[in-house]
Amino acid sequence: MILVVMDHDGNELRKGALEGVSRARKLAEALGGEVAGLVVGFGAEGVAEKAKDYVSKVYVVSGPDWETYTAEKWAKAAHAAAEAAGARVVVAPASRTGRSWTARLAVKMDAALLEDTLDSWAEGEKVYATKYSFLNRVLEKQAGSLPAVISVKPNTTPLAEPAGAGTVEPLAVELGELEKKVEVLEKIVETGGKVSLTEAEVVVTGGRGMGSAEAFQMIEEFADLLGGAVGATRAVIDAGWRPYAEQVGQTGKTVQPNVYFALAVSGAVQHQAGMNKSKVVVAVNKDPDAPIFKETDYGVVGDVHQVLPAMIEEVKKLKGA
Amino acid sequence: MKYVAIIRQVPDGESKIKVDGGRVNLEGATLILDQMDEYAVEQIIRLKEAHGGEAVVVAFGPERTEEAMRTALAMGANRGVLVTAEGYVDPVTQAGALAKVLAEEAPDAVFTGGQQADWDSQALGAAVAEALGWPSVTWTTAFELEDGHAKATHDLDEGAEVVRVALPAVFTTQQGLNEPRYPTLPGIMKAKKKEIKKIDAAELGVSGSKVEILEQTIMELERKGKIIDGTKEPAAAAAELIKLLHEEAKVL
Ligand SMILES: Cc1cc2nc3c(=O)[nH]c(=O)nc-3n(C[C@H](O)[C@H](O)[C@H](O)COP(=O)(O)OP(=O)(O)OC[C@H]3O[C@@H](n4cnc5c(N)ncnc54)[C@H](O)[C@@H]3O)c2cc1C
Repeated sequence: MILVVMDHDGNELRKGALEGVSRARKLAEALGGEVAGLVVGFGAEGVAEKAKDYVSKVYVVSGPDWETYTAEKWAKAAHAAAEAAGARVVVAPASRTGRSWTARLAVKMDAALLEDTLDSWAEGEKVYATKYSFLNRVLEKQAGSLPAVISVKPNTTPLAEPAGAGTVEPLAVELGELEKKVEVLEKIVETGGKVSLTEAEVVVTGGRGMGSAEAFQMIEEFADLLGGAVGATRAVIDAGWRPYAEQVGQTGKTVQPNVYFALAVSGAVQHQAGMNKSKVVVAVNKDPDAPIFKETDYGVVGDVHQVLPAMIEEVKKLKGA
Repeated sequence: MKYVAIIRQVPDGESKIKVDGGRVNLEGATLILDQMDEYAVEQIIRLKEAHGGEAVVVAFGPERTEEAMRTALAMGANRGVLVTAEGYVDPVTQAGALAKVLAEEAPDAVFTGGQQADWDSQALGAAVAEALGWPSVTWTTAFELEDGHAKATHDLDEGAEVVRVALPAVFTTQQGLNEPRYPTLPGIMKAKKKEIKKIDAAELGVSGSKVEILEQTIMELERKGKIIDGTKEPAAAAAELIKLLHEEAKVL
């Protein structure tokens, strides 16, 4: 049996949940058994009704104790569901939260942890996966023995199609001493742009060279024209010009769009770690020696305040034509 | 009070890495204290300076990890404990051994970097916490002590969150938490004499890795590198750029 932990927003399943189902089905084919799902937290009962179209059985952990996320609670719920299902593999999204609770779950299950995987498969009594390492510069193939916990890098896997109706089963999980030790005092949700950064086909990132928060209006306009999302460097976040949710890089988001615009961005390694898998990289920088130009397909050496407005006009012409 | 930073030695992100026989070969690469762990080291030194007590660095890795530990000691940590093991050992297995060291040290708070610059793993901090039965807070950007608790701000996928956590606990660190100091010359001199206790991982029950690395390949995408000079006629350069993106790259 494979357990897939299905992320949701209290209302709908997230894409990551359906990527997880695809991965779990592939593993179940090789290892035998069925795919069970788990939905936890706020709105879980409602979401379970949708989740049951994808898996043979959905475990639901909900109630007042489960309204807010903590890694301790999610690891506990996943462990309880894995035991109930007799699962030897647990699949979960490699979101920032996913990666913190799956580490705890792997310890609870004494399992091999295959983290942030691009693909995964099973042969015999082993699971295999590919992932990036060395700040996204190396592609790595790993193997782990069972039991295993596998987290799925977002946007790597086709979304599963519904496959009949499973059953829904509430699972009662009591909070222990450990789970009571973290209290969430405040949640600061930074609503990003209209298009989700990690899923966007076009990303337009501004760096410190934009010079001000106001200058990002141009970036927004350009991103809107192309149906893309706005990104930012750490220097921009530190300056308070944009919310953290837009940060691209080692400590921000990893993006892999069709086309990535790096505007007035120097191209530090920590930034590259978040964007170096983009299909086409475009840079505008006034410094011809900026490191970003080494990672660029198409670049312009020039002042972004002159080049970007002209780019906006050109795209408008193109769209009008 | 006692504070621990778990650190690692990793290749500098800017140094070239090569692959020999399907494995990354770090020979010739500059090895440094992981930049994400620098925030952890800075944090334990600041806590020691503000509240007294001891700042200890702990690491799991090959013998050479001692160099990165000396950097942390030169920044101001008091002493080190190095669990030695050659070759790849997965973070969950590492966490089991480190938990034994930490259980003995009995610190009030433990810090470690949010993501490792070699394995790109985010698991170590949370796994150590689980092995100890302690709470964990990942991607911490603000930390304050409050009578037996900590109040911390940390990043989530879509924003941030403020939590109150009972100590002892493990915090993973990231840029924004503090500004790591540079080791000073007197600091470097003093660090040479500070104690680093070494323990063989086998003595802590490590007998292999749950995850094996089978093959590694360098993934550098070939870039076209078509650069247009837009210093004199920015509008013309912009027009050429958009034309190339539309007609040649076909992404617009
Ligand atoms: C552990 C760690 C983790 C990190 N994680 C991240 C991360 O996730 N993401 C991230 O982005 N950074 C990260 N950083 C920071 C990173 O090292 C750089 O400091 C940061 O990316 C620099 O941002 P920037 O390119 O916007 O600014 P700068 O380095 O200041 O570069 C600005 C660029 O703009 C150009 N410019 C200036 N004016 C103009 C103009 N008028 N027209 C055109 N070009 C102009 C300049 O030539 C320069 O190249 C991290 C650092 C550390 C140590």
